Amino acid sequence: MLIEGILIGLAAGVLVGLLGIGGGTVLVPALVYFLHMDQHLAQGTSLFVLIPPLGLGALVVYWRRRNVDLAAGILSAVGILLGADMGGRLAVHTNSRDLQGFFGLFMMLAAVILWRKAATQAPLPAGRDND
Amino acid sequence: MIEANLRTSGILLAGVAGGVAAGMFGVGGGIVIIPALVLLCGFDQHRAQGTSLVALVPPSGLLGLWEYSRVGCVSWRVGLVLMPGLFFGAILGGRLAQKLRSRPMRQVFAVLMFSIGVWESFSAWRR
Repeated sequence: MLIEGILIGLAAGVLVGLLGIGGGTVLVPALVYFLHMDQHLAQGTSLFVLIPPLGLGALVVYWRRRNVDLAAGILSAVGILLGADMGGRLAVHTNSRDLQGFFGLFMMLAAVILWRKAATQAPLPAGRDND
Repeated sequence: MIEANLRTSGILLAGVAGGVAAGMFGVGGGIVIIPALVLLCGFDQHRAQGTSLVALVPPSGLLGLWEYSRVGCVSWRVGLVLMPGLFFGAILGGRLAQKLRSRPMRQVFAVLMFSIGVWESFSAWRR
């Protein structure tokens, strides 16, 4: 469990820094399939993992390149704080099977957004190849 | 002035939408916030990703976690084990993002996510 946990965390972390997406999209299915958790337990555990500022190291990397808008970030954080309570209430009142189904739909939607973002990427200033 | 207020409320609303997704699906919310910042507020991709990381520094999902812990749906032990890997992995990923061509990688990951999504929904609603 210890080794699996550290490896799952490491894999999710690389994607957090690389793609700027939440580690939860990777953590939740990994917890369900590798550690055999049920959907609610996996989601609750994922929320717990995301409480400490684990993206802080990656943030520093972006900050040095001046790729951070602090005010907008804080504003989004306030929004998340309000929204997460609503979302949590909705989830605990949904049965685990439907919740897993909805999670699947959410993953598909997120995948489409990610793909579109990759496809419609604006050209970058000279000398920078990555997006 | 009006434009600035509009932008402010737009970002706040993007945060709330990200938060509902965070609480409902136990994820970080970045997947909602990043495209919102890029498409609605005209951020470039790197800036949106860096800004989304700021939003995830405070314990934004705390109230969502509270709802889960009240019904006993949190494995604290596994959660603690996941944290160190995630922290160091994120630094590694952040550095890689500055070096690699992330567009094809993004597409590979999008295909993978879509497949996992189909599999999740299918296995949930098959019966």
